[in-house]
Amino acid sequence: MTKENKKKDDQIKERSFGIVGVIWKKISVPLTSIFLALFIGGLIMAISGSDPFEAYGALFQSAFGDINGWGRTLEKATPLIFSGLAVTFAFKAGLFNIGTQGQLLMGAITSAYLGFAITGLPAIIHIPLALLGGALAGALFGSIPGLLKTRTGAHEVITTIMLNYVAINITDYLSNGPLKEVSSSDVVARTPPIEASAEIPQVAGLPLGFFIAIIFAVFVWWILEKTTLGFEIRTAGLSGTAAKYAGIKVTAIIVITMVISGALAGLGGAVETQGIVGRYQPGFNTGLGFDGITVALLGKVHPIGNIFSALLIGSMKAGGAKMQFVADVTPEITNVVQALMLFFVAADRVVRWIIRQRETDDEGLTLTTGWGN
Amino acid sequence: MSKKYLLIVVLVFALVIAGCTAADAPEATCADEETLCVGFVTDVGEVDDKSFNQASWEAVQEFAAANDVFEVDYVETRDAKDYEANINLFVEAGYDVIVTSGFAIGDYTAAAALANPDIYFIGVDQYQGFDVPNFTGVQFNEDYSGFLAGAVAAMLTETDIVAGVYGTNLVPPVQKFKQGFEAGAAYINPDITVISTYSPGGFETGFTDPEWGATTAAQAIDNGADIVFGAGGQTGNGAIIEAGTQGKLCIGVDVDQWLTLPEAHACLVTSATKLIGPAVIDMLDAYMTDTIPEGNYIGGAGLAPYHDFEALITGDMQDILDQIVLDLESGAILTGFVLEE
Repeated sequence: MTKENKKKDDQIKERSFGIVGVIWKKISVPLTSIFLALFIGGLIMAISGSDPFEAYGALFQSAFGDINGWGRTLEKATPLIFSGLAVTFAFKAGLFNIGTQGQLLMGAITSAYLGFAITGLPAIIHIPLALLGGALAGALFGSIPGLLKTRTGAHEVITTIMLNYVAINITDYLSNGPLKEVSSSDVVARTPPIEASAEIPQVAGLPLGFFIAIIFAVFVWWILEKTTLGFEIRTAGLSGTAAKYAGIKVTAIIVITMVISGALAGLGGAVETQGIVGRYQPGFNTGLGFDGITVALLGKVHPIGNIFSALLIGSMKAGGAKMQFVADVTPEITNVVQALMLFFVAADRVVRWIIRQRETDDEGLTLTTGWGN
Repeated sequence: MSKKYLLIVVLVFALVIAGCTAADAPEATCADEETLCVGFVTDVGEVDDKSFNQASWEAVQEFAAANDVFEVDYVETRDAKDYEANINLFVEAGYDVIVTSGFAIGDYTAAAALANPDIYFIGVDQYQGFDVPNFTGVQFNEDYSGFLAGAVAAMLTETDIVAGVYGTNLVPPVQKFKQGFEAGAAYINPDITVISTYSPGGFETGFTDPEWGATTAAQAIDNGADIVFGAGGQTGNGAIIEAGTQGKLCIGVDVDQWLTLPEAHACLVTSATKLIGPAVIDMLDAYMTDTIPEGNYIGGAGLAPYHDFEALITGDMQDILDQIVLDLESGAILTGFVLEE
C-alpha cells in the first residue's frame, strides 16, 4: 500500500465514521438537555406526589400512541416549525427576531381574509393563493424592523417586541370590526370561516401542512447553505464589518433577511388558519411565534433541527392535557420542562461538562452577534 | 467516547418508551351508571388564578364534598384550540356533569351539549342563545357590582380621580365591569375623572400580564388617581398590588380578593364580585334534584366585605350603597350598559 493510498483510506475511514460522529456531535447537547429536563421534571412530579412514569406515559401515549395522537402532535408542531425557521433564518444573519408572533398573526388573518372573501376558486389555486397572501403579510410586517434597523439603527429586539403589540391590536380590531363574522346572537370576535376550497386537507389523518413545513425547512436549509444569498447572510451574521469589507451590502442583507424571516412566520400563521383553525379568531394563535425561539434554540439554529425540536414541543402540547387528566400533574410542568430544555441548551457548557464533550468552533450559537451590530 | 454515550442515550430512550407503554392501565369507572363524576375545563388560564377559574373549581370540589360524587377532575386549557379536545377528555371518560369556565369556550360547550344529550353542561360566563336542554349558561350582572365599586371609589377618593385597569374589551363581562364602574363613580360625583384602560393584549396577554397592569396603574396614579380598580385576571392583580405598593387604595374583582390575593391586603377596600361559586353549586344542586333551569341563569353580583377597611365606610356611605343595590334591582338606577364594538 503506497503512502498516498493509505492517506486516502484514512480519509474515507474518517468520513464514514465521521457522519455518525458529526451528527452525534450536533445533537448530543440538545439530546442530553432534553433528558436532563425530563429527569428534573420527573423529580418535581415525584416530589409533588405524582407518578412521573404514569405522567410521561400518558403524555407519550396521547402524543404518539395512535394515528390521532400523531395527527395532534403534527398539528401542534407545524406552526412551530415555521416560526422556528423564521427565528433560525434571522439568527443566521445575527438578527434576533422576537416579532415572529406578530408576523404570524398578520399572516394568519390575511390568509383567513383571502380564504373567506374569495369564492369560487378551485382548491389548487385557492390554497396557495391564501398561503402566499399570508407569507406576504408576514414579509411586509417583518420588513418594518429591518428597515428601521438599517435606516435609524433601532435595534430589532426592541422594535419587533413592540410590533407584536401592534399586530395583536390590528388583528383584534379587524376580527372585531371590518372582518367580524355577522350572525344574530354571536358576539364572539372572529372572522367568518374560510371557504372549503382554501382549507388545507388531511392526508390519512395527518395534516398536510406538516409536510409543507418540512419542504420549507429543506428550502430554508438550501437557501442558507447552497446559495450566494445564504453565504452573504451567514457572513453578515458572523461579522458585519468583515462582510462589509468583503463587499456584501449588509444593510440590504438585513432587510432581505427580515423579509424572509417574516414571510416564514406569516406562512406559519397561514398554514395554521387554513389547516387547523379554519378562520381567524383572537387568542387562537397565542404563543406560536414565541415558541419559535425555543424551537430554534433547541434545534441548534439549524433548519432541519427545527423539525425535530418542533415535534418535541408539539408532542408536549398535544399530550399535556391527557397528562394532567390521567396523572393529575399540573400542565405547567410541561412549561417547566420546556424552560429547562432551553436553559440547558443555552447553558451548553453545563451539558458539555456532563457528557465531557469539547466545544468546537463551528458549534457555538451565534446568539450575541446581533447585539453588537 | 462519544459512541458510548450515544448508546446510553438510545438505551435510556428505549427504557423510557417501554416504561410508558407498560404503565398505561387505568380503570374506567366514571362510565358506570351509578357513579357521579363532575369535570371542570378552565378557560385559558390557571385553575388557581385566585379569581375566575378558581371560584368555579372550588365550587365543584365543595359540591363533591357535600354529595356522593365518585370523582372530580379538572383540565387546564393551555391553547384555545384545545377547548373541544379538553371537553372531550371528560366526555370520553364518561363524566356526568361538565363545567366549563369562560366566555370564549361557550361555543364549544354548546356544541358538546348538542352532541352529548346525556351529559349536563354548565357554562360559567356563557350565554346560550338556542334551546339545549342539557346546557345552562350562567351569567352575572357585572355592571351592578362594577357600579357599586365605582360608587365606593367615588366616595373614598380625595383627588376626585379614580382609575380602572381592565383585561381585554373583547370579553363582554369586562366591558360590563368597566362601564358599571364609570357609571357608579359618576352617580356619586358627576365631575369625577375616571381613567379607564383596557389591556392592549387582546386574548393573547389581556388577562395574564401583571407587569402591564402594574405599569398602567402606576401611570394612572402619576396622573392623580388614588383608587385603582383592577378587573382582568392577573393583569388586574398586577394593578391592584401596584396601588398597594404606592400606598393608594384598590378594589378587586370577581371574587373576594382579600381571601385570594393576600398581597393586596395593604390596599384592598372591597371587591366587585360575581358569585361564581354559589351559582355553580346552585346548578349542580339543580342537576341532583332534576330542576335544571332552562336556558340561562343569572347569578348574584355585589360587593365583597371590607375586611380591614371597614372603618373607611361610614354608616352614611353604607346607606347609600344599600339604596343603590335596591335601585339597581328595581330598575330605578340603570347602569346604561351597551356592548362595545
